[in-house]
Amino acid sequence: MGSDIFEISVNAVKIIALFLLMVQIVPLLVWVERRGSAFIQNRFGPNRVGPLGLTQLLADAVKFIFKEEFIPEKGRAFIFYAAPVVALLPATLAFVSLPLSAPVNVEAFEMFGQNWGPYTFQFQGFDFGLGIVYVLGVSSLATYSMLMAGWGSSNKFSLFGGLRASAQMISYELALGLSIVGILILYGTFDFKTMIAAQQGALSFHFFGELVTIPFLPNWGIFYQPLGAILFLVAVFAESNRLPFDLPEAESELVAGYHTEYGGMKFNMFFIGEYGHMLVASALMAIFYFGGYNIPFVTPDQLSGFLEGFGYMGTTNSLMTSFILHLCMFLKILFFLWVFIWVRWTLPRFRYDQLMDLGWKTMLPWALANTIITAIIVFVMRS
Amino acid sequence: MMASTVLFYLLSVVSIVFALGVLFNPNPIFSALYLVLTMIGVSLMFFNLEAYFIGGVQLIVYAGAVTVLFVMVLMLFDLKKEKQAFTKGLFSSLLKYFSAGALLFMISGASLMSMGLMTSGAEKAEPITTKQLAALLFTDYFFAFEVLGIILLVVAIGAVTISRIRGGTHAK
Repeated sequence: MGSDIFEISVNAVKIIALFLLMVQIVPLLVWVERRGSAFIQNRFGPNRVGPLGLTQLLADAVKFIFKEEFIPEKGRAFIFYAAPVVALLPATLAFVSLPLSAPVNVEAFEMFGQNWGPYTFQFQGFDFGLGIVYVLGVSSLATYSMLMAGWGSSNKFSLFGGLRASAQMISYELALGLSIVGILILYGTFDFKTMIAAQQGALSFHFFGELVTIPFLPNWGIFYQPLGAILFLVAVFAESNRLPFDLPEAESELVAGYHTEYGGMKFNMFFIGEYGHMLVASALMAIFYFGGYNIPFVTPDQLSGFLEGFGYMGTTNSLMTSFILHLCMFLKILFFLWVFIWVRWTLPRFRYDQLMDLGWKTMLPWALANTIITAIIVFVMRS
Repeated sequence: MMASTVLFYLLSVVSIVFALGVLFNPNPIFSALYLVLTMIGVSLMFFNLEAYFIGGVQLIVYAGAVTVLFVMVLMLFDLKKEKQAFTKGLFSSLLKYFSAGALLFMISGASLMSMGLMTSGAEKAEPITTKQLAALLFTDYFFAFEVLGIILLVVAIGAVTISRIRGGTHAK
């Protein structure tokens, strides 16, 4: 956590702030989802409570808290209560390990008659140096919350929802894992910050020993791995159970799937888990294929030099650089969150056999082909 | 050092308790869920020993993929029938006691033989990076690695064939 009391307390505050960021973005996303769906379907959406319907969220929160506690008569109480908590955990653990901006360098300073620092604070909860392996490992546990909810409710529809969820997750996890192997080969690392550092500046690559630079395109992963990016986007849609892949809760067939029996705050926790998955998926999409926290064509060093021109030095300079890069990262994340919502209200749901065929017979072979072709090209170009 | 020792004992106790839960819980679903917790405990122990890559892979493969399959398959079966088929009969109970005894013998033997191997003041090994691990797999252990792959392929093909013969969903 840190070597002295200042570093430890800053790191603790950081982790809490990141958790609150994830939880607090959910009501806003719900508002965007409802207004956005209304916009797409030519309706008004919530517009009565407060300006633009924004305080509807507060009313919803109050409703969630004051709803009656309810367990199905034949349900298994422990699993029934544990499932929503488990739903919240994987997304949270994954999100705090993502770097959301460049590290902040704090120079040595004096406070309370004592000398402190210098410090370097990462703009992320913690860093194992494992990067994507850790994120994949933690988010693969998300299936259990749906299985537990399905079993604990003792309800046919819930059980079907849970079973569908697990079958779908297993099928698409393979495609998800394979679709990012290409980008891992390309950058030669698991670490997010190294990947982001490799995506600075304009598009430039080695073509048979010659350095080719294309000045009007940023050096983003999507220009090297277009197929990988598409496969990854589809797989994360399936992993976060969003339409067109929301078969676990298909309301026309299964009432509400695995959360049929849940109400109030317990239901809300499933909801937060789902939006947390979307947040993690959007951040991963930005990190792998869209330059992470880099501003296109501007490296963090150039930005910091630009700020120095205005007389910002040392700690202030580093803080402002990180903040601006963080805003850039968040704009990218928000764009992909909007894509999630946009797709949900545009495409219809798959049938179950179509879902399985897409996963095993289309995405998996394409992802394998992408991996092999990338490996061959990287080997030839660099030798 | 202190914190990691405390964590080691805590995680050991938790993992062993969950592992016993797998054995002694009469409900197979709960058993499988205990198995998940045991797997997570083991992976956390790898993290505690600073073997981050193995910890992550343990989480992905065992806790994430394999046990999800277990739980799902258990939910699909008529468990009462399966349980009866396993608990009834002299032969199967003899087999059970025999295998339990053999397992106990093996565990106690292994722990007795490995008693003197670790001295308390042993130097901590350098953590192996993913690159070194991959190099080892593709040079020194290449043959074993490939043989393992072929065995798994054979098992997969065999499972598909048997399930087709015995009247699975795609039986002809």
